[in-house]
Amino acid sequence: MIFKKLKELIRKELLVLLRDRQTIPLLFLMPIALIFFLSLALKGVYSDKLTVHQISLILENSSRAPKALKLEEKIVNNKLIQRVERPEGYDNDKLFEYGKAHAVVYIPEGFDEGTKPVEIEFDPVLDAGYKVALRSLITGLTAEVVMGIDDIETMASNFIVEKKRKNIRFPSALQQSVPGWTIFAMFFIAIPMSIAFLREKNDGTLQRLFTYPVSPNLIILGKLIPYYLINLTQFVLMLAVGVYVMPLVAGLSFNLGEHPWHLVPVAMVTAAAATGFGVLIAALARSPEQTSTLAATSALLMAVFGGLMLPVVVMPLVMKKLAMISPMYWAHQACLDVILRDASFSFILPKIIILTLFALGCFYIAGRKVKWM
Amino acid sequence: MKALEISGITYSYNQPVDRSGIAENEYSLRDFSMSVQSGQFHALLGPNGAGKTTLMRLITGQLRGYIGDVFIYEHKKWGKEVLSSIGYAPQPISVFPSLTAMENLRIFGVMAGLSKDSLNRQSKEVLEETGLLSHAQKRVSTYSGGMLRRLNLAVALLHSPQLLLLDEPTVGVDPQSRNHIYETLKKINTFGITIVLCTHIMDEAQRLCTRVTMVDKGSVIFSGDMKEIDNLEKFFLEKTGRGLRDEN
Repeated sequence: MIFKKLKELIRKELLVLLRDRQTIPLLFLMPIALIFFLSLALKGVYSDKLTVHQISLILENSSRAPKALKLEEKIVNNKLIQRVERPEGYDNDKLFEYGKAHAVVYIPEGFDEGTKPVEIEFDPVLDAGYKVALRSLITGLTAEVVMGIDDIETMASNFIVEKKRKNIRFPSALQQSVPGWTIFAMFFIAIPMSIAFLREKNDGTLQRLFTYPVSPNLIILGKLIPYYLINLTQFVLMLAVGVYVMPLVAGLSFNLGEHPWHLVPVAMVTAAAATGFGVLIAALARSPEQTSTLAATSALLMAVFGGLMLPVVVMPLVMKKLAMISPMYWAHQACLDVILRDASFSFILPKIIILTLFALGCFYIAGRKVKWM
Repeated sequence: MKALEISGITYSYNQPVDRSGIAENEYSLRDFSMSVQSGQFHALLGPNGAGKTTLMRLITGQLRGYIGDVFIYEHKKWGKEVLSSIGYAPQPISVFPSLTAMENLRIFGVMAGLSKDSLNRQSKEVLEETGLLSHAQKRVSTYSGGMLRRLNLAVALLHSPQLLLLDEPTVGVDPQSRNHIYETLKKINTFGITIVLCTHIMDEAQRLCTRVTMVDKGSVIFSGDMKEIDNLEKFFLEKTGRGLRDEN
């Protein structure tokens, strides 16, 4: 009989939720839209700038001497460079004003003799990183030609080796966005959840249920389980959007790492933390209007602090420390551990424990704070 | 047999009642006693803030931490048997607006422990009784005030309770709906169901009830047969005074 009652309570809650016209768009369409648009918008920010966006370059060579021709060939064949032709009637000012090229490189007569240097002129608004990269590239290629070296990088590799650390890889736009906005949307469940709690408390339906031969704990559980299940559905659906939809519609690739099943416990504790947060908001707020403001503001702040909007790795130290007060940080980092760093279960376990403690803390405070009856 | 016996109840929302030094106006109920015989139609009258709703909530087991005893059909504890014997229609219309009437009855019926067959049969019966059968599949949010009140009553009647507690069941409804509710209540009382009616409408109490308990400031100020009272409204004002009772 207990399971029959629990099943009926869950059914009722799901019916109420599904008939609320604002809930489904808020919980499902909002994160999908955020993932789609922000991944596209931030594609360049999160990617390796030079390999994703080639530098458009107008290359003019006034010399027909061998070294000048060799340099022209090297520049044109470099994968970072996209050679464009100067449109008729465009001087350099007009070129940059109309965005026709990022830079102009001019190889003068007398280059072979060493009497005149190669000239570079940049678009004044070009990102400083691009300028440095292009200047280094042209310098390197010029040095190769002048010194008669085939590949300066190969030669330099005997003296300089770049060591890459596996666990601090920079996320791509999708790797940042998909788990980030998924977790954000999961915590946004606090809005419909706390509104439903308060509405039923205020209109007396919750109290009326308490007058029946059914445990108050069962009634509360019957209200929590649907939101927990919706949270898990959000998680699965958003990952599916990242893996299957985004490559098709936005040409961005996303994979779940070597141990995708490690996302299961992460999703479970994140859902628990999000539902706990919802109950806490319901306990703290006094009206449905208050819950909306409180839940939305708290979720937004937790997302900003937690590195969901901007990767924690690029934050200053003080913000990195502050990020740790947000449960979203732990959930997001646990996801990135699995997706980006192929982390073992023992590596994500501390984050899972922290999220579990956050959930338990929320339920405990809500239980102490509010008289549901 | 007594359907309900309340003896020496003291309760405060703000303070534990076993603590000394509670201000007089902080008591919601003070040494309150009343009894209702099985099958009786009993009116509970009092001005705003007198303690009527508190008493209803206390009888239905929603409030704890009081001094005194509540017996329902001689049971002191709110076990399954006691809770199943009570039907409660609270003053606020406590149904789920986005569900249909049938879905509302289903959730409350399952909570009351009704089997599938009983639930289907009794849902139709109470909807018929309250004149809502043709609206059973409509969402409650589309109902008028009178229909909502009748659904509120239907939920209370669904599991065939022996003791029906009604907190202002006709407030804010048109004369037609009010009359329909009166007829329904009179009919079910003839089947031996005990009814405690909490109301501000004196005519309603005098028309329906055989016994009356008047409560003011958390205490009983009168208890007796309705037939002893000639003009209930006049009698009520004599007992409770004519000053306004605006709640803080």
